[in-house]
Amino acid sequence: MRTASNTSAWKSAVFSHEGILFLVLVAEWVFFYHFGTTVNRHDVVVGFGTIDRQFDILRHSCEIGLLALALTPIILTAGIDLSVGSLLGLCAILFGMLWHDAGLSIPVAAAGALAVGALGGGLNAVLITWLRLPPLIVTLGTYSLFRGLAEAITRGAVTYTDFPASFLFLGQERWCGLPTQAWIFLAVAVLIGLLVHRTTFGRSFRTIGFSPEGARYAGLPVGRRLALVYLIAGVVSALAGLIYTSRLGQAKADAGTGYELFAITAVVLGGTSIFGGVGSVTGTLLGVAAIAVLKNGLACLPVVMRMNGAEELSGMLTGALLLLALTGSVLPKYLSNWRASHHSARPQPPT
Amino acid sequence: MSAPLLELRRITKSYAGVHALRGVDFDLQPGEVHALLGENGAGKSTLIRVVTGAHQPDRGSIAIAGQRVTHLTPSAAQQLGVACIYQQPALFPDLTVAENIALRLEPSTGLRLVHWSARRERARSLLARIGASISPETEVRALSMPEQQLVEIACALGAGARIVIMDEPTASLTQKEQHLLFAVVRDLRASGVGVIYISHRLDEIFALADRVTVLRDGESVGTSPVGEINEAGLIRMMVGREVTQIYPPAETEPGDTVLSLKGVGSSACPVHDVTFDVRAGEVFGLAGLVGAGRTELARILFGLTPADRGEIRLNGQPVTLRSPQEAVAHGIAYVPEDRRRHGVVLEMPIAQNMSMAVHRRIFPGTWLRFGTERRHALDFIRDLAVKAYGPDAPGGSLSGGNQQKVSLARWLATKPKLLILDEPTQGVDVGAKSEIHKIVRRLAKQGLAVLLISSDLPEVLGMSDRIGIMRGGTMAAVLPGKADAQEVMALALGTAK
Amino acid sequence: MNRYFRELSVAGALGLLLAMLAVVAPAFYQPQPLLSLATREAPTLVVACGMALVIICRQIDISVGSQFSVCSVGAGLLAAHGWPAGLVLLASVSIGALLGAFNGVLVAGLRLPSIVVTLATLVSLRQGLNLVRQGEFVNLPDGLQWFGLSQTDGQWTLVAFALGLLLVFAVALRYLSAGRFVYAVGTDTEAARLAGINPQRVTFAVFVLMGALTGLAAMMNIIQSPQVQPLSGNGLELKVIAAVVVGGVAISGGRGSVWGMFAGLLLLACVSPTLTHLHIEAYWEKAIQGAIILLAVVADGLRSRKENR
Repeated sequence: MRTASNTSAWKSAVFSHEGILFLVLVAEWVFFYHFGTTVNRHDVVVGFGTIDRQFDILRHSCEIGLLALALTPIILTAGIDLSVGSLLGLCAILFGMLWHDAGLSIPVAAAGALAVGALGGGLNAVLITWLRLPPLIVTLGTYSLFRGLAEAITRGAVTYTDFPASFLFLGQERWCGLPTQAWIFLAVAVLIGLLVHRTTFGRSFRTIGFSPEGARYAGLPVGRRLALVYLIAGVVSALAGLIYTSRLGQAKADAGTGYELFAITAVVLGGTSIFGGVGSVTGTLLGVAAIAVLKNGLACLPVVMRMNGAEELSGMLTGALLLLALTGSVLPKYLSNWRASHHSARPQPPT
Repeated sequence: MSAPLLELRRITKSYAGVHALRGVDFDLQPGEVHALLGENGAGKSTLIRVVTGAHQPDRGSIAIAGQRVTHLTPSAAQQLGVACIYQQPALFPDLTVAENIALRLEPSTGLRLVHWSARRERARSLLARIGASISPETEVRALSMPEQQLVEIACALGAGARIVIMDEPTASLTQKEQHLLFAVVRDLRASGVGVIYISHRLDEIFALADRVTVLRDGESVGTSPVGEINEAGLIRMMVGREVTQIYPPAETEPGDTVLSLKGVGSSACPVHDVTFDVRAGEVFGLAGLVGAGRTELARILFGLTPADRGEIRLNGQPVTLRSPQEAVAHGIAYVPEDRRRHGVVLEMPIAQNMSMAVHRRIFPGTWLRFGTERRHALDFIRDLAVKAYGPDAPGGSLSGGNQQKVSLARWLATKPKLLILDEPTQGVDVGAKSEIHKIVRRLAKQGLAVLLISSDLPEVLGMSDRIGIMRGGTMAAVLPGKADAQEVMALALGTAK
Repeated sequence: MNRYFRELSVAGALGLLLAMLAVVAPAFYQPQPLLSLATREAPTLVVACGMALVIICRQIDISVGSQFSVCSVGAGLLAAHGWPAGLVLLASVSIGALLGAFNGVLVAGLRLPSIVVTLATLVSLRQGLNLVRQGEFVNLPDGLQWFGLSQTDGQWTLVAFALGLLLVFAVALRYLSAGRFVYAVGTDTEAARLAGINPQRVTFAVFVLMGALTGLAAMMNIIQSPQVQPLSGNGLELKVIAAVVVGGVAISGGRGSVWGMFAGLLLLACVSPTLTHLHIEAYWEKAIQGAIILLAVVADGLRSRKENR
């Protein structure tokens, strides 16, 4: 029921997808706070509740968060991009190469990396919009191609390191109280949030997701809009690559491996429908937070520490979460279909 | 006197307040070709849906081969020997003709050996019986629409159907193919099958049918043996009615020519050599039967299918219309026929649907302004009397008539010079229909050029200042607005001279 | 015959590649290395048969690599515990079938998109395996290698078996009605339903079969060496999908054949030794694989654009 009264505005906010996710996030955080030990291992506090830990969570979630932000408009159009993680790695490598081998300055090399990201996204865009190829197989191909190029360029072995402190500041230090990359993440989140929720572009993404034919009949430039979302994803992946390199202090060919699962899960968890049209950037951010807390919180549980399996467990649980989120999203449709089939035939105009 | 193959008594069916069928009686004898005639919207397709079990009638009884059937489902209908050849065949495009026929006819158990030679043989013999020169090895994707129809007929033949319904089978067949089809129909009749033959071509009906039933406004006007009636009589039955609806009269004289077409056509669709013009302040009705090419022409004008022949001029200037964006930029607006798929995005709120075509104007700099959008929507809701609980209501929650108004509002917002309306009152209740008519007349008064595509003959006659009748993809004639209904129908059917 | 044009062009490209190799690097054509290559790729062929079916059915399964690893390790552990080879084989196939059934329930039953479902199972399985095994190898009992045959005999057996299975699938897809149903469902689900076929059942069966074949291939793989490497399945899905897509099976479903897949597989299998003989380093392999997938899909896209004009 949609009325303008305040009480139901509250209710709809709390019972919305984002509201429930927020509650889950809080519950999750409390769980790990309670069960995550403050064990002193080699005199290092590994507690979950410490500020250091929270900032760590923030740091770690920036790259996946950026990818998830990039994927949100794409999934809104009922598309998909499996190549974001691989493009992250390729751009990281190229950044290292431009700086180290070609001797370019950090800002120029970074610009070069972003340009490569645009090229990669552009390749996806051209194949998907101009040749009308399915995004699934195109991005599966570029997923392999980009990673392969990264491996080929580095001969599988080269790692670029020894970046100047001014660059490492981006990924390892703090600025105005928060980790530096968090500010960048925030800026991108605001930009993409505005794009999706407050511009005509975002409106057209949703329209295309609900009905590509309907969008065409409404005079919307479907091809151009689709090209835009894949292009944006390319540039943002490159940005994520830069941050990754700065955080770890090194650029390797396997940068970003497996990130696509986390990113897609964050988006779907956040309430964006895999079938397009429905979704929000706020939801994506909450989804990223939920996954980041999960990942980091697991590492603090004593049982997990004994198993030495934080990485693996978080991967498994994220996979399970994705499946649960997907199942949860289609159940309402099933219930309403089931209910409808038990009524008389829906009225349809004769043709 | 054997039992009739099919007997329908007092069949009544309504959709969302529209009475599609009102107490129709119909029967089909074995070894008979029974033609079903009526204008678009008269109820023919609804009747067919009832016979194939796709829809249940609200009232009335169905008996097949003498047995009452209470709840007819599509699979039950199939088992009882009902087969329908639709205009849109449901074949597998990537598979061969032989396989398509085989998949329909063979039982759906998984662990059987497939005998390709037997499949080919069966397909070959069935196609030969129809006289269709289609190789069983051809992929269905490579077949033309009429050829696909022939394959469907072969399937029905192979399924041993006793009641075969053919929905406008000759709509796009060549002369030769038509003759083959007639031979098939005669064959079926000779073997005791009953054929319900829906067609607009009176000459076919006289050549092929034994009896003919005319539907009008959901009622059966009468059934007559073909020998006891003539063309004029049939047309009178189809059309003759009291004009109970008052259409708003034209109040202004038409102005300058807005749209001018000369020899326009496209190789991608049946439209060819179309010449006519539409003036400002005029409602130009486009009449014709389904398949005559009216919607295809609209798609050409809206840039969905670019024209590659002829010249289109807007306000005297030649234009190329290669995409909907270009059409909109030139001031053309198109309210499409399929409002649920193309006219309105059902999942989105009314306000967003209404603003969808004017983003550049009401959201300068691409920034969404919800207040402006809401006011914009409220204005149109008021102007067009859209019944919804608010601008946030999703498009899917509205009735057909109100959805149509939303679709109309979307395009009126673009302040077009030429407004193309494709079946604007189809499936709309009487009240909303009348409102839409008043709106159209008001728009014309304001100087808009309106191209009104409609299969509702009284609507075309009542609303249009001039009427263009399309047939076979081209403009057959242009008549003044107060034309004779029977003359229009005759021109549409192609029986006039 | 126009219908097989796509497969023939792949075969043609393969022929060109083989001819070029004969001229440039005749060392490629020595019987023992070729046999070893064929044996190494035999399990891939088995998995590719299953993937061809999945893609013809208009689905995709990117979790086969993880399924392969899980089945390999599972079978290896059972063998190390003294289970007879026959039972180990059965167990491997069953594990694979169960994993495939899980995918199948979600895709066919809940109508979830297969790409996302299999992405989730891919990672879950791989990480689960890592967690349990921590990358540890499994040492196999002596009698298991080559099923106790000599190496050469074992190699020929595996190759012959894989080829035999290919033949069985080629025949089944053409001459078994169940095989034709896969094409029907992949072409047009609605038309299939109208023709009396149950699309959900067909889709489910295809995923189960995919899993079972993966389990079979895993068994074929572990008997080739004295240890099981848990990472052996990595990258398998891309290799197999590339072979299928290059071989002319359309990602939109409903067309293609296992023969095309076979030609595609051979083509891709020859890429790596070609690179070696041309002195191009091996780490270009993944990039070339991705490029080949894209080229094949683009070629198909251009062709259908031309057809639809």
